[in-house]
Amino acid sequence: MKMIVTRPQHDITTKYLSVWAGEVINFAKEKGVEVFDLFKDKANKNDFVGRVKKLQPEIIFLNGHGNDDCVAGHNDEKIVEVKNNHDILRDTITYALSCNSGKILGPKVVENNTATYIGYQDEFIFVGNMNYLSRPQDDPMAKPFMEASNQVMISLLKGNEAQDASKKSKSKFEEHFVKLSSSNTDADSLQIAQCLWWDMRNQVCLGKLEAKLKV
Amino acid sequence: MAEEKNTKKILSDEEIRKLVMARLSVLSKTTMISLGSDGSFTRDELIKSVESGDKIGEKLAEIQLGWLRSFKERTSV
Repeated sequence: MKMIVTRPQHDITTKYLSVWAGEVINFAKEKGVEVFDLFKDKANKNDFVGRVKKLQPEIIFLNGHGNDDCVAGHNDEKIVEVKNNHDILRDTITYALSCNSGKILGPKVVENNTATYIGYQDEFIFVGNMNYLSRPQDDPMAKPFMEASNQVMISLLKGNEAQDASKKSKSKFEEHFVKLSSSNTDADSLQIAQCLWWDMRNQVCLGKLEAKLKV
Repeated sequence: MAEEKNTKKILSDEEIRKLVMARLSVLSKTTMISLGSDGSFTRDELIKSVESGDKIGEKLAEIQLGWLRSFKERTSV
């Protein structure tokens, strides 16, 4: 099985996403998945489109900034965009850890085919601690967001249906925000809980909901 | 929609702004919030955004109000 991951890294947000995506890459490799990691400047439109066409991966994990109709790569170059090349995702399960792309791009990707698209229909927001900018993987504030997000990929790689992978991820978001909103030990907890709730509410699973990987 | 109208009646824009700023003011100085392609912001930058009513401030108010509504829904079940 083949998986393509895009991991741009040009600002604080993409650094966090790319570092935490490393956990998914490690998990996939342990499961024997062939991982094609488009890291930093390799996360560009040319490389991405070329790899998808050549490898025809069963699963694609996009990390980066996004908008209603696109997902971007390194230095915010649009790598998938409605009316440009959105149909390259038609034969795969895609998870886009990216803002807003579940609003227009996602529905367009799954139109009239068997594709699956999991993404967010509004901003993907996370809270972090400035003291951890050089080691995002150790940031305790960001951890619940990234764990809950990664749950989509971990569940898919375990062979769960796309709709169940999204449900498990949402349950993880909920588990964290319920725990944090009932805690009064940390002044930041309520803010973190609110943002976790926001992300959970905006995650969408579109297209072929019962799609799953053959693991 | 009806609930949105009710909230608008109960809270003015100024009151919402104050509520969001009060919430933000208790965050640690080192806390940041990443709001996608808009960037990552410190507590003090977020407070300024809410104060000036820019796009970031509006988004934070939207999250705060949505959270309060959902909390009301959860507790009323």
